[in-house]
Amino acid sequence: MKKHALPVLLAALIPAAAFAHTPLCSCYDLGDGEVLCEGGFSDGSSAAGVEMSVVDGAGNTVLTGKMDEAGEYTFQKPEGDYKVQFNAGPGHLIEIPGSDIVE
Amino acid sequence: MNKLALSVGAAALAVSASSFAHFQLLHTPEAMVDKPTTVDMKLVFGHPMDNGHVMDMGQPEAFFVDFKGKRTDLIPALKAVTWTGPDNQAAAYQVSHKIQRNGDYVFALTPAPYYEKGEDIYIQQITKRVINKAGLPTGWDQPLGLKTEIVPKNKPYQILAGSTFTGQLLSEGKPAAGVECEIEFINTKVDQAANAFSKDNFREPPASALVAITDDNGMFTFGIPTAGQWGFACLGSGPDTEHEGKELSQDAVLWIDVIDL
Repeated sequence: MKKHALPVLLAALIPAAAFAHTPLCSCYDLGDGEVLCEGGFSDGSSAAGVEMSVVDGAGNTVLTGKMDEAGEYTFQKPEGDYKVQFNAGPGHLIEIPGSDIVE
Repeated sequence: MNKLALSVGAAALAVSASSFAHFQLLHTPEAMVDKPTTVDMKLVFGHPMDNGHVMDMGQPEAFFVDFKGKRTDLIPALKAVTWTGPDNQAAAYQVSHKIQRNGDYVFALTPAPYYEKGEDIYIQQITKRVINKAGLPTGWDQPLGLKTEIVPKNKPYQILAGSTFTGQLLSEGKPAAGVECEIEFINTKVDQAANAFSKDNFREPPASALVAITDDNGMFTFGIPTAGQWGFACLGSGPDTEHEGKELSQDAVLWIDVIDL
């Protein structure tokens, strides 16, 4: 009984920790052929170094990069459908469809 | 009997209406947005809890928005509007400001001192409101260096009904102890398009002003019973005490948004 209690307690801690560190990412069409994405975490921590990918309509990764020191990533907008992925590790993936990216 | 009850009632009404506080509003329908948005903010001087008289605002002395320490002067963007209250109209202002990047936008208004005939004093309510985009916290808890201001100790755009809100009152950057802070909520529907308060109130206002007094560190805490927009006005906390030869009450106002979980 006691033995079981500990893993359960740990499990209870995991969602709380995840919630306090929710990833945030927003992208904007700069209107000059470029797209700017900015990232961060809900507790105010930086997204510097987080992996970024741009995926085309066929599911092919066309661009990869990293969030810079300011938590920003700028790329040339691809032709056609695309989506942006912000990948801060398991449970911290955000996908933004290109159709949602406006000025 | 009836006659007596009626006259007592009418007298009581007149007294309670005047016992409610002046509040400088910086009103927007929402304090949290998740997409790039043009915020429609109204600057109105009124009595929000009893939805009473609205007062004429003069040309503001200062109005800006702070985003990650970068300030944008909003004085040039101000538009004069006529605000309609339930029983009168008054000069007010409106500003449209586009919010794109994620984080905290702290709006701060220093209005022109308002001459209050009834008390023969001037009132100047230095007012803040925080709008957040996309949940990213970037400075809602930082003072702006105003003459007097309330610094929130809970996220001011995300207070849960039934929880508490704590603020620290500063005067010239230092904690202001023993100051009376009045507490009100916007008690009627705000018609953004018509620049008007509705005629009907959400609820019966409390019998007299709600008050919290700041402690030795300038802190006050208030338990918020219901969702809505709540304001705190700490009275006479600013350094300036005189305007055009008359007494000046330089107050600090902060608006918060209270939501149901």
